[in-house]
Amino acid sequence: MLKNYFKIAIAVLKRRKFFTFISLFGISFTLTILMVLTAFIDKIINDNYPDKKRDRMLYINRIAQVGDGTMQSGTVSYYFLSHYTGMMKTPVKVGISSMFSGTNTYVNNKKISVSYKYTNADFWDVLDHDFTEGKPFNKQQVSNADRVAVISEDMKKQYFGDAPSVVGKYFEADNVNYRVIGVVKNVPITNYMMYSDIYLPYTVSKADYKDKSYSGAYMAFLLAATPGDVPKMQAEYENLIKRVPVERKDFKHVYSHANTFFRSYVDTGNEKQSGVVIVVTAISIFVFIFTLLPTLNLVNINITRIMERSSEIGVRKAFGASSKTLVYQFIVENLILTLLGGVIGVVLSVAALSVINNADLISNLELRINFSVLFIGMLVCLVFGFISGVYPAWRMSKLNVVTALKAQ
Amino acid sequence: MFKHLFKLIWNKKKQNFLLMTEMLVSFLVLFAVFTLMMYYYDNYKKPMGLEYENVWVINYGNSYQTKNTDSLNLYYETLRKTIKSLPHVREISFVSGNTPFSQQINNGGMTYKGKHIDHINNYTAEDSYKDVLNLTLLEGRWFNKEDAVSKNRPVIIDNNLKEVTFGKESAVGKLLGGDDDKNKMRVVGVIQAVKKDGNYANPGPGEYFRTDTGSFRWLSKILVKVDPGSDAAFEGKLYKTMANYMKNSNVEIEHLTNKLRSTNYFALVPMIVLGIVSTFLVINVALGLFGVLWYNINKRKGEIGLRRAIGATGNSVSAQLVSESMILATLALIVGAFFAVQFPLLNVFDLRAEIYIEGMLLSILFVYLLVLICSLYPGKQAAAIYPAVALHEE
Repeated sequence: MLKNYFKIAIAVLKRRKFFTFISLFGISFTLTILMVLTAFIDKIINDNYPDKKRDRMLYINRIAQVGDGTMQSGTVSYYFLSHYTGMMKTPVKVGISSMFSGTNTYVNNKKISVSYKYTNADFWDVLDHDFTEGKPFNKQQVSNADRVAVISEDMKKQYFGDAPSVVGKYFEADNVNYRVIGVVKNVPITNYMMYSDIYLPYTVSKADYKDKSYSGAYMAFLLAATPGDVPKMQAEYENLIKRVPVERKDFKHVYSHANTFFRSYVDTGNEKQSGVVIVVTAISIFVFIFTLLPTLNLVNINITRIMERSSEIGVRKAFGASSKTLVYQFIVENLILTLLGGVIGVVLSVAALSVINNADLISNLELRINFSVLFIGMLVCLVFGFISGVYPAWRMSKLNVVTALKAQ
Repeated sequence: MFKHLFKLIWNKKKQNFLLMTEMLVSFLVLFAVFTLMMYYYDNYKKPMGLEYENVWVINYGNSYQTKNTDSLNLYYETLRKTIKSLPHVREISFVSGNTPFSQQINNGGMTYKGKHIDHINNYTAEDSYKDVLNLTLLEGRWFNKEDAVSKNRPVIIDNNLKEVTFGKESAVGKLLGGDDDKNKMRVVGVIQAVKKDGNYANPGPGEYFRTDTGSFRWLSKILVKVDPGSDAAFEGKLYKTMANYMKNSNVEIEHLTNKLRSTNYFALVPMIVLGIVSTFLVINVALGLFGVLWYNINKRKGEIGLRRAIGATGNSVSAQLVSESMILATLALIVGAFFAVQFPLLNVFDLRAEIYIEGMLLSILFVYLLVLICSLYPGKQAAAIYPAVALHEE
């Protein structure tokens, strides 16, 4: 039976080439856009380089102090993070690093912009950077305040050109010479919590990292022993923060959370408005409107296509086919059409993604189709085909045999 | 004639309902895109308010720590002299962190005569600030040395803030401050609002305060106006001078031109993405409309043949079909306009009403154009139907 439907569907598609083209265009294009969007979101949420142990990690990137009409919110000081996370029992390791900030360096009268980050030694254990050469700095080097640096591949290329190995060479930034001890694979800037060109021990920081105020330039990565310990770790931090006194009299509350990656990534800096809700709503509205139009279009076209075949329907009904069988047939036909559009859509998406990657809009951002993206794409495609098939099929099944035959 | 056309449409309401929904949704999408475009264009037309070429920003962050204000001032005045003595440096000015095209904002609000004004950009600037950025003075004067001893704290506002607080009247000499403020500030000048967030952003209301003796404690940036064509070699020299003087600070030099480019990029990229997406949506809808109209006309061959046979000209037949589609579009647009008009009425997103109306008019025009183009060809085809052939088929 299915084989027959399939044959009929192909025959119908071939008959009205223009309509087929319109349907396929609509489906494949919509799918392409959705695939690019999911690839982008997937890259941001699921690409876990360099934090490969995400299921065991929590992120602290903000502290807010709120009083009547006053509010101060921002990244956290090194002192606060090391002092309070030091009291916690669940985390096996706590990586602390500053947010990236910028400086310049001048090589042969050429200017290079450098973003830098100060980290502690545990940072390298909590996160798993891929070292192409050398190794990270250790606790000893950090407490000695050694002027050592881990640089990214990008920076190596810009600063040293095509030198094969740069470990042991000196890198000048901010008028200070750092000895390069490691080179790591690039992190795209979209991963703003971990992005940097050079990584330095926090002890060489020119700003006073011993400063006891709560806000500073740092954030922390907490690593639990097992994924099961993560909720415990989160609760422990929440309890800890409840006991932290406010810094000044005009503040009433201290807020700071150890969040999962996505939550901390979309943090709005506002205690009352969760970034997750905003992002999810915005994306859903976009996807809804964006799929609504092609679906309407497809329904329109499908009605036209099906009504054109009223004589065929009439004959089949006259020979005893039930409405259910007919609806089933048309839905299957429509799904075949959508799947065909889906395949074209996948091809188009691969092309679009390679264009986006080559354009290098955001450096080091490699978008690719992975299985989850493909799966989502196919699912959207099927839902799409189903929705646009049901209504016309239902309209058609209402058709009276006599009118349908008379139309001929 | 119209009554007749309405009857024809009503007779096929089920089929037309879907077409109309499609037009309606297209209108709403286009309305959103055009409104956004008009908003950007409206901002783009406004004057920049400053000259950013050959102006560099030095970020120096945390540095000289002292409790003594005199030695603090001495430290920075020496730095100022050192930088100014470099060749190619025309003028420098220490400023608060929210320099043009930076992501930093320093906002405040106030209630003036019962009216609440929000999101006022607060800038702290020196006497030389105006010359570094070549700001446009509309009224009064920029800060000068006399302001240090004046009774009321002097303030300079931009024309946006002036309009909301004083309307058309002259602002110079008036006292500004919240209703419950005891220490009101005296307005000494009005300048053209500065587009701080790039070419496409609305220049928000702003007020400028003069630096005072303690300001150096928290100022963190220097604007430097240099000679045109100053190169990286000179920049390196400036950098070394800064870094040698401020041993405890991380120094970064940025160019306002580059910062403007990246700021604009943030406005343009979503616009371009939206543009591409909606272009394809429109193509999609156009193809669909075209297909359905074309099919409908083919199905009505008998009716058209009969009309031709009783003397209707080809032109009147195609005019009938085109106007049928246009009426459909009109019905959809009336519903769409009802929704769209809520935006300026309810003042959603705080945009000027004209922007919404321009967006609405553009999208209405666009939908009409789309429907017209899509129905012209099927209409022409219908006009070419020979009565004899059509009636014979029947």
